[in-house]
Amino acid sequence: MLTGVTSGCVIALGAIGLTLTYGILRFANLSHGDLVTVFAYIGLWCHRLFHNVFLAGVATIIGGSLVGLGLEKVVWRPMRERGASSVAMVIVSVGLAIAARHVLIAIAGPRLHFYKISPRIFQLGDVRISSVQILVVAAAVVAMLFVYYILQRTKLGKAMRATSDEPALAKVSGIDVNRVINWMWIMGMGLAGLAGFLYGLYTSLRPDMGFYLLLPMFAAVIVGGIGNPYGAMLGGLLIGIVQDMSLIFLPSQYKVAVGFAAMIIVLVFRPRGIMGRAI
Amino acid sequence: MEAMLAYAVTVLILVGIYALFALGLNIQWGFAGLINFGHVAFMAIGAYTMVILNLHGVPLSLAILIGLAVAGGVGALLTLPAIRLKADYLAIVTVGFSEIIRYIALNERWLTGGAAGLRGFSLPLEGIVPAEHYDLFVLGLIWGSVLIAFILLQRLVKSPWGRVLKSIREDEDVAKVSGKNVSAYKMQAFLLGSILAGFAGMMLAVYHSYICPYYYYPIETFYAWIVVILGGSANNLGTLIGALLLWVFLSGTRFLSPIVPLSDFTFAALRMALVGVLLVVLMLYRPQGILGNKKELTF
Repeated sequence: MLTGVTSGCVIALGAIGLTLTYGILRFANLSHGDLVTVFAYIGLWCHRLFHNVFLAGVATIIGGSLVGLGLEKVVWRPMRERGASSVAMVIVSVGLAIAARHVLIAIAGPRLHFYKISPRIFQLGDVRISSVQILVVAAAVVAMLFVYYILQRTKLGKAMRATSDEPALAKVSGIDVNRVINWMWIMGMGLAGLAGFLYGLYTSLRPDMGFYLLLPMFAAVIVGGIGNPYGAMLGGLLIGIVQDMSLIFLPSQYKVAVGFAAMIIVLVFRPRGIMGRAI
Repeated sequence: MEAMLAYAVTVLILVGIYALFALGLNIQWGFAGLINFGHVAFMAIGAYTMVILNLHGVPLSLAILIGLAVAGGVGALLTLPAIRLKADYLAIVTVGFSEIIRYIALNERWLTGGAAGLRGFSLPLEGIVPAEHYDLFVLGLIWGSVLIAFILLQRLVKSPWGRVLKSIREDEDVAKVSGKNVSAYKMQAFLLGSILAGFAGMMLAVYHSYICPYYYYPIETFYAWIVVILGGSANNLGTLIGALLLWVFLSGTRFLSPIVPLSDFTFAALRMALVGVLLVVLMLYRPQGILGNKKELTF
């Protein structure tokens, strides 16, 4: 259960960026999992450099935001200016995923990688909690509160929600849509950076795990309701817990398949998810 | 000279296999506008079904037929949850499906042999064709199949069925209003494409006389995508040209490998990264590919 909550937090953080992209730009960004993987490695290298978890975490978040903004300038904005459809965007995102994954394989090699930190274990009654688990959950909660604050209390957040609800209307009411999109990438990819970093803290990394990470995140987005960041948080937690529970009767290799099955069930019976609007 | 010839045969066999594989994707994506990012799964399903049945005593010809039926049937079933929804969902569902098929192939050792793979199944006309010319026989078999598939597909896409498929790609609602059962057409396109992928997988298994999960990484699916988009979506001849170009690139860069100061592993990974970059660049600057028609683009 506790490991489920931990991985659920990481899934949720990744899913927020994914669902924001889907809400505002209207396409499924299949490169998200591979970018989270890249960020996990950036975190690993930062951690080796700084020997400090907090510095490495902050550096990874900044790195994630910069990558997000860079891709917007080089790929996504030119695609939009060409009038590309969402289908074209999906194909481009997969091209990015393949490129990012194999560059990472070329740099990091095929082996597993670890952060090599030894967590302290606390005993609370029957429950054993490691300091890493506490750190992951705490960081995720802080990040989610931050997202809530941005979206609900700032002008930028209002503009973001408006663009997500009705892009054309947002544009005519004077919202600078490109600026909103820039900030969406900065926020979404920063969170993806944090997700990758936290993921690396409690488990091993493989350069080709992009789709392995992407599937539960997508499941979270769809279960929570596409385009809704709070739905993505809730969906992430749910998927994390369900996947963890499945370990009771299924080998761990099929954990991802369980999240995927949950997604299929939601797609068939309630395609708009728990908190989504009708589609 | 002998070695060069053998190498050319190998490359042409692979071109043929990937041409079949990509022709299947072209029906789904090029003509029907369906995003299938799990095409490799049907390669795996076809090949594993054939091999496993044959190893359990089913004659090869029957095993091939059942394998094609299973690949096609699973393909059609897979479209069910996603086909009524937006195109992106099918992308996600197929990516997930292909990864899960690969996990099953890797983990269910009793059935698939796990990471060690399976060998020792019978090959077509084994014993009749002299062993030293078997590669040439495989080459003929594959290119014969490519030719048949190409001619059949050309007739099919020019038939009323093909025109309905294209109309669905252009505007689903219009097709629906004209009384066409859109879901059924999409499912048929998926079935046909999956059968072709299954057959390509079988040919790959026959060529290697071996199968293992490592043949079915997602990159294979995206090889098919680059073939279709490079050649020109909705153009079967373009797909053949794309398959040839992909292998000229993949095997041509292999010759560079001794010159470049990188390990084979790093070099191979960078080559695959280049396939991803090429996909992005094509979509940005020439989405219609070499032979495609810009007016026919879904995007």
